[in-house]
Amino acid sequence: MSYPLTEEQQLIQQNACEFAKEYIEPVAVEIDRDSVYPVEVVAKLAENDFFGLCFPGDFGGAEAGYLSFVLTVEEIAKVSAGVAAILVNHVALAAYSINKWGAPGQKEAFLPGLCSGAKLGAFAWSEPDHAPGAGPDRLVAVKDGDKYVLNGRKCYVENGGVAGTYVVIALSDPAAGVKGLSAFIVDAGTKGISQVRNIEKMGLRACQSTELLFTDVVVPAANLLGTAGGGLALVQEAKAAANVAEGALVLGVVQAALTESANYSKERHQFGKAIASFPAVQIMLAEMAVSIQVGRSAVYSAAALIENGERFAAEAATVKLLLSRLGTNSLIDAIQVEGGVGYCEDMSVSRLYRDVNGVFLTESSAEFAEPVIAAEVLL
Amino acid sequence: MVNEMNVDLTLTPEQQRVQKLARDFATSQIIPIAEKHDKSGEFPEFIVKRALEAGIFPHSISKQYGGPGYDVVSQSLIVEELGYACCAFANILTGNLLSAHLVSLAGSEELKKYYMGKITAGGLAGFAITEPGAGSDAGSVASTARLEGDEWVLNGSKCFASFCSYAKVILVIASTNLDKGVKGLSAFVVPQEALTGTNAEHKLGLRCSDSAEITMKNVRIPKGNLVGEEGEGFTYAMQTLDVFRATVGSVACGLARRALDEAVKYCKERLDIDGKPYIRQQAVAFKLADMAIQIEAARDLVYKCVRLKETGQRITKESSMAKTFATDTAMRVAADAVRLMGAKGYSRDSVVEKLMRDIKVYQIFEGSNQIQRLVVSRAL
Repeated sequence: MSYPLTEEQQLIQQNACEFAKEYIEPVAVEIDRDSVYPVEVVAKLAENDFFGLCFPGDFGGAEAGYLSFVLTVEEIAKVSAGVAAILVNHVALAAYSINKWGAPGQKEAFLPGLCSGAKLGAFAWSEPDHAPGAGPDRLVAVKDGDKYVLNGRKCYVENGGVAGTYVVIALSDPAAGVKGLSAFIVDAGTKGISQVRNIEKMGLRACQSTELLFTDVVVPAANLLGTAGGGLALVQEAKAAANVAEGALVLGVVQAALTESANYSKERHQFGKAIASFPAVQIMLAEMAVSIQVGRSAVYSAAALIENGERFAAEAATVKLLLSRLGTNSLIDAIQVEGGVGYCEDMSVSRLYRDVNGVFLTESSAEFAEPVIAAEVLL
Repeated sequence: MVNEMNVDLTLTPEQQRVQKLARDFATSQIIPIAEKHDKSGEFPEFIVKRALEAGIFPHSISKQYGGPGYDVVSQSLIVEELGYACCAFANILTGNLLSAHLVSLAGSEELKKYYMGKITAGGLAGFAITEPGAGSDAGSVASTARLEGDEWVLNGSKCFASFCSYAKVILVIASTNLDKGVKGLSAFVVPQEALTGTNAEHKLGLRCSDSAEITMKNVRIPKGNLVGEEGEGFTYAMQTLDVFRATVGSVACGLARRALDEAVKYCKERLDIDGKPYIRQQAVAFKLADMAIQIEAARDLVYKCVRLKETGQRITKESSMAKTFATDTAMRVAADAVRLMGAKGYSRDSVVEKLMRDIKVYQIFEGSNQIQRLVVSRAL
């Protein structure tokens, strides 16, 4: 047992496990294969309070802790990493940002819709070809009295196109460089936002990824989230919280891979015995199990820090560093255990392999994990 | 620079010419269409004729049998350049070496002329050994061949038979004596018309390269289609793999170089959040350096193995090492490239996500890297 869970946390975990089996499992293969946005699944998630699980009751949240949320991500990821990614982007990036840094008016305006799932949240950070704020397509926000006007592009926006509420990072002070980035809450229906294209990914395909064009998009100054110029710090902390949830996503995928490959190794016979009896196979299964064990400790303890309002930057970076490596390596091995059969898409491990590699995506040096951890060490 | 290698001073002018020929073909004929075929899964049957015309196919047949007669190093150079462009295409264009080599090892003159003739005319030649119950345990082959007068009668099923739905001729391993296990296996040349192949389901990678399931129900072939001696089929197959494993290593090196080139290009061109090129970040630069170092080492091991073969020396251990190291390296390098290239690398906006899907099977087939470790450990 990696980490002691309370009875409430175990109940939430169990509930998520059953939900995933009943509502997500039947469509998991299809939504991945065809990159379909699972409208019914999202509606069911909303109905069952997954979107508002860890937010205040004032806004329709269920007031459970961040660790509980992370547990639901893990359970859902065992069945569909793509659906788990939809959840993480909505909760840990978009809704989290508004809940953490939103002014009272902003929270009242946007959180209830996000908590109920009436609106899906998305976080628009990446830009085409260059780090945010750096390239010719960078999204710029020009202040004009009581409003900002946004022009530019955002790319690889997860939940893009289907979102109702965007948290958008734009360059409000180009002269200030990285200190000139600001966050804005933008309603998806605002005039001037157009979806340029849907982007096809290796995995996590149920989670829609889009490129958005902003043409003279008018955003009320009241929608500035946090402080002007505080965008990068907001991104870094929001992404840190998301990294912890992403760690749980990886755990779910690796567990599913371990379960399938372990079962396969018992059934598959070569050289007169089950391949599960070969040390080479046992080594691979053991390493996966160790990864899960160690990963769970890291993820759950980091989630508990978030839940308790403590500093968690280094622990979140640890999750990112550890789980991105362990995830990919585990799935390389899981397919290896299943051999040629595992390379075919009627087994799950090939989909799990495709999914696990896209969970932690880094777009700039501002998102590197090691400097954050080193900073703690060097204090 | 994309697709530029350090000048290899050990290559003869002729070898350099062949390398350039292969590189030009790969760049102009394969790279522009590889993505499309990966997406649709459509088998690029047309590429064989084009490669034949360009002098790239067949890469391994001697002049004696109507082939270009490239030396072993040149053959590897061709394979590597094709791997750089697309592993699926490389597999289709160079996989014929596996069965052709076996036939050249042990077949009668008549059989050799027949088999090589099919290939030099622009036909694919397949190799069917794997069965649902016989993967790493190749000795467990359950397909049978019995002699009936002037004919062999074959029964059984094969799977993961690369491009066998499109091959003109196929080398089939079947048992002529099930009681003898490995020592009962024999090799047979089977014309395509005699077999039914159906394409395997959607794969993680190598998507446009057909992976056929073959069913043999009383397939009749002439008595003379037995290659070499009865019961020696497994031995011939292992001898062939000794050579072919280096080829697999070459493909992996090609893919690894491609992954590195794509990642380097991205990191040099991409402006980081501070407005400076991403590659200026030491963590990024050092990761690229590690990838480059590993690829260089992999290529050296593969080419050492290839040059040893030229001397006529047995290369069982070396080719096993080369296959293992090159494919494990390419797997890591492809994963590193995807990770370095962030959201773009994970999407179809970049080729590296395809590279990461294509490379995984290279750790599995032609002897899994676990089997390779067995082979190497036994040679120590």
